[in-house]
Amino acid sequence: MDRRCFTQWCSGAVLAQGFASWAAPIEDYASIPLVHPDGAPIKASEVGTDEAMVFAYPLKGIPCYLINLGDREPTTQTLTSPDDGDYTNPPGVGPKGNLVAFVAICTHQLSYPTPVASYLRYAAGGSELGGGPGRIVCCAHGSVYDPAQGAARISGPTQNPLMPVRLSHDTATDQLSATGAVGRKFFERFFQNYKGELIERFGPGVYRQEVQGSTVTVPLSTYSRQVPAC
Amino acid sequence: MSDRRGFLKSSGLALAAGAAGVAAGTSGCATAAAPAVSSGRMADLPKAKGPRLVVVGGGTSGLTIAKYAKKEFPKFDVVLVEKRDMYSSCFTSNLWYAGLITLENLANHSFLDAAVNNHYVYFNATVTGLDRAGKVLATNEGDIKYDYLVIAPGISYDYDKIGVTDVDTRTALRQIYPGGFVSPTEHVTLNRKIREFEGGVFIQTVPSGNYRCLPAPYERACLIASLIKHNKIKGKVVILDANPEVTIKAKGFHAAFDELYKGILEYKPGVAVKGVDVAKRTIETDFDSYQFDDAAIYPNVRASTLIEQLGLLAPSTKSNQKEANIDTRFYNIIGDTSVYVTGDSRPHPYSKSANTSNTEAHYVAKVLAARAQGKEIAWSTPETICYSVVNAFPMQAISVKAHYVYDAGKDAITGFSPDTKVFDNRDAAKGQATLEWAKGLYRDMFNA
Repeated sequence: MDRRCFTQWCSGAVLAQGFASWAAPIEDYASIPLVHPDGAPIKASEVGTDEAMVFAYPLKGIPCYLINLGDREPTTQTLTSPDDGDYTNPPGVGPKGNLVAFVAICTHQLSYPTPVASYLRYAAGGSELGGGPGRIVCCAHGSVYDPAQGAARISGPTQNPLMPVRLSHDTATDQLSATGAVGRKFFERFFQNYKGELIERFGPGVYRQEVQGSTVTVPLSTYSRQVPAC
Repeated sequence: MSDRRGFLKSSGLALAAGAAGVAAGTSGCATAAAPAVSSGRMADLPKAKGPRLVVVGGGTSGLTIAKYAKKEFPKFDVVLVEKRDMYSSCFTSNLWYAGLITLENLANHSFLDAAVNNHYVYFNATVTGLDRAGKVLATNEGDIKYDYLVIAPGISYDYDKIGVTDVDTRTALRQIYPGGFVSPTEHVTLNRKIREFEGGVFIQTVPSGNYRCLPAPYERACLIASLIKHNKIKGKVVILDANPEVTIKAKGFHAAFDELYKGILEYKPGVAVKGVDVAKRTIETDFDSYQFDDAAIYPNVRASTLIEQLGLLAPSTKSNQKEANIDTRFYNIIGDTSVYVTGDSRPHPYSKSANTSNTEAHYVAKVLAARAQGKEIAWSTPETICYSVVNAFPMQAISVKAHYVYDAGKDAITGFSPDTKVFDNRDAAKGQATLEWAKGLYRDMFNA
């Protein structure tokens, strides 16, 4: 696949939203199925509403959150990234259209989940810092995002939304795949900030490689040993 | 959740320091002329490729402004002048004493990398003078011409205000019982003292006025108490507080004092230090003498002596603790839109803390970028996000998130905004968040 071919730009999908006709498209990357650690496909019906699930996409060093919004219906809108420009966040997928995904890196000061700890989490039931339920909260400095609105900023020091990841859902098999994202320049800034750490964890250059084949997806509480409930 | 009214009441001291304390002002140096010292040679710097912005001070404020002014207005040719050749942060240094982090957490951050990552020049030099008419900054490494100058030198101690007026005692206190709020070498000494404390009385004093990092002396006392408890040492911590009540997060600190450190930590409010006998290890107050085995004596705080040396102090009617004479909203020296003072030398009643300086610097970077293009921007509040670790075993913290209100009629900062929240319930989540909070600040100052 030629990921520089911005197919969605041409497809009319963006125009069909009724606004943001000049917003940049979601960039296509390889379509990667989300799988359990044993390789079995993740099915939409298996994604719980209590916490986010974590997977790497589109590059091996980029963590993403898969979130089931439950009864909340996701909306699309024009959003802005200072690194990568304007875009329209993709709609939800799945039988109920309530599954969404985002790059799990706080756009304020780049906190992200590691196997040691995650200070950025989906607080399904609400939280001290985030207030109401169903928000993504960064414990480090209190940035709060709404995953039902493209992870747009709700409050706190961040000025920007979390970067979006586009999902697809196979209605025949109920399987989920990641198919695109926005954030190529943002990813580069993230890598510059954490290069030493990422080399240690993934190996030199590996964190920059595109995910191939499938991507293992696990609950955040499994992925990170500590998930502070701020 | 927070008790905002309690917070406003208990922490009003800090806000009052800038305004209400004015009547007792002692500074009379406001109009002293800046010494136009020249080194007699130009600094070894490339020719400016755009409007030159010189930033003095590589702390939280200076590093953030150097980075973000360049981002906001890429035509700026930015030079950061810093006298240190090695960075180490004051923020989170208390955590090191309790073994919760290492010195590497504080100091493994390079001025060189910050400059390269953010397209400016780090110039390792000490400021010696300022010629505002000629727009020349003098340093021990040569003169630098500027179009815009930001001076962010932090604080100096004011021992006079704790009754220590003779130079011998001042010098002894600086060296033997440092406050631990200015230089990294104080942190190293304090770390040794706390790790080597084997028993007896450790006194932590808290000054009056708007001192650097309001909760830090209480946090440090809690962490020393935590070590005493954990290591079963026969000793105690005594907090001598010049203020009538814990100055911020009072409910959370009192809960820690009472629930975690009964018999180990004594809190004595309204006890101002009036003198110290170093040889006898005794602190004198109005009513009592306090004997100590070891101590961290935190004197009052003022703007860095550099601000006074450069003739930039506010009149005593504006600041009673020798702070800079700047515009409340835009930070320029009154009557001079080329020179700015930011960070803890400001006269504002803001918390003198890292997150405040960082967010203030983001705003001042925008002010500078706008003015370099002939524009003005609206004032916006800094943000004070501040965690205090009150227990080391396990690590638990309390926190505050505050914004401020500007009153145009008074041209003054008059209080906290209604969205200010205190999180007084200590928990492990906030303890862990403290570490990531600091890492975020380092990333914001040093990385691209």
